[in-house]
Amino acid sequence: MGFVLSLPAFTLVTLLLGIPIIQAGYYSMTDWDGLNTIWIGPSTYLRVFKNPIFWRVLENNALLMLAVPVAILIPLGIAAILHERVYGWWLFRSIYFLPTAVSWVVIGMVAARFFARDGTLNQILAAIGLGGIQTDFLSGERTALLAVGLTFIWSMIGTNTIIFLTGMATIDPALQEAARVDGAGALRIFRHITFPLLKRFVQFSFIITVISAFTGLFSLIFVMTGGGPGYGTTTLEFFVYQTAFAQGAFGTGALLGVILLVIMVIIGLAQLKLLRSDD
Amino acid sequence: MTMTVPRGARAGSDVAPRKGQRRGRGRRVALFLAMVVVAVVMLYPFWFMINTSLKTQDQYVSGSGHSLTSWSKLTSVLPVGSQLTNSMIVCVLSIAIIVFVSSCAGFAFAKLRYRASTLVFLGIIAAMLIPMQSIIIPAYVNIAKVDLLTTYFGAVLVYAALGTPFATFLMTAYYRGLPDELIEAGIIDGLGYGRVFLRIAVPMSVPAVVTVIVLQFIQIWDDLLIGLLFLQNTDQRTITVGLGVLSTGRVTDIPVLMAGSLVSAIPAVIVYLVFQRYLISGLTAGIGK
Repeated sequence: MGFVLSLPAFTLVTLLLGIPIIQAGYYSMTDWDGLNTIWIGPSTYLRVFKNPIFWRVLENNALLMLAVPVAILIPLGIAAILHERVYGWWLFRSIYFLPTAVSWVVIGMVAARFFARDGTLNQILAAIGLGGIQTDFLSGERTALLAVGLTFIWSMIGTNTIIFLTGMATIDPALQEAARVDGAGALRIFRHITFPLLKRFVQFSFIITVISAFTGLFSLIFVMTGGGPGYGTTTLEFFVYQTAFAQGAFGTGALLGVILLVIMVIIGLAQLKLLRSDD
Repeated sequence: MTMTVPRGARAGSDVAPRKGQRRGRGRRVALFLAMVVVAVVMLYPFWFMINTSLKTQDQYVSGSGHSLTSWSKLTSVLPVGSQLTNSMIVCVLSIAIIVFVSSCAGFAFAKLRYRASTLVFLGIIAAMLIPMQSIIIPAYVNIAKVDLLTTYFGAVLVYAALGTPFATFLMTAYYRGLPDELIEAGIIDGLGYGRVFLRIAVPMSVPAVVTVIVLQFIQIWDDLLIGLLFLQNTDQRTITVGLGVLSTGRVTDIPVLMAGSLVSAIPAVIVYLVFQRYLISGLTAGIGK
């Protein structure tokens, strides 16, 4: 009976995720344009590793990782403030979480205008006397990646704030009160009591943020920059799409997908190890 | 006017902590203002979309004036009605499959364990790690082979498969929380396992099911990649895909794009506003013990 009930889920996942993963492994060792398959073997991986564009793409992924701590620390600060029951905190919480419901397509479209030559950011820069660094952010490789990174940070604020608020709600207020009575200031209480007790939640938000940075930005990049200028904002996940569906190299695309999976599995295992080491 | 009386009275009667109190109040005001600034940053895109959609392209460029022209032009650029319907169809079909398979499997893994059930459970959960980009090429080839790229079902199947692992995780966790006695009582009363599942377990799992529905609705409604590849028939495009394609195309009328963006965002935002609680519980369910 139990077996029968679990069969639909098992079949669906096997047919549409399990088998395709094995196929991807096979395709990755072929030269294949969707019609003709030529078996090459594991040397396809060497070929990709020798391709400078591949390393350029990984560099973009690595640079986007720099956004992760920011995307965690800002929400941590926001949550700490909201947790003090600032006037209207529940309304703020709803507002901050709202972008979670909005698609990357929509966010990307607004972001593209925000970072444009005549966009809001440049107007703000001019207004505060920083007109000198005004630029068309999306037309430079590094500035475009910066724009994508900033948009990514913005979009993670809601999710991470909610995670930390949930975490703070699990902390016994008596602990913080005791420290306050002993004369500890708000910052010290946060550093020595609240933050250590939040460790599990910080780890969780770290994982969510890293996974989003690696696998959740396709639509944003598609709409905002199209991966460019050049390969300036092409991340690995976007490169999979570009290689397979824009250039028609299905074999290489599958190979890149396999590498992405390996990276995700390594991150997943690292997280497991972190969580285990606590107990 | 009336506010000043009690405030003055309190200050007069309680002189010693006055200084600290005032500093506390100043601090609270500062924190409140900081939160207002963050709120402005978070709401900016919504304001930008609304404000810009109420201009013509010329008014947008010049930065002054308002008009409803862009809204009346919207439907000629983007078939909003049919694309919203497509989004709805794809969401409903995918979510129906996800809810069905994850409820059944969750109940089995929690209450009807069999010899290999832990292994099967772990296999399904492990699939959460698979990024959609890693399976998308083989999945595309397979779906093309069975001729589903020009129907809704290709995309629906992929969405369902991608949503199932986490939904199964949520449902299993929820059913585990139901007391075993409840199930046993049903069996003693002569209901078979099938009816215990349908009449006792399923009605009790409504909160978890709502969480699954809300999470998946927002995810599928907002998706671009799967829809872009697996809905080859232009008439079947979802609104998010329609908009995504439009944004890279020839249409450079920004106010019209913003009007379209607003329309596409509204359903998911409404779902969010109504079911916020469930979305939060689904998000934090992954943290575990």
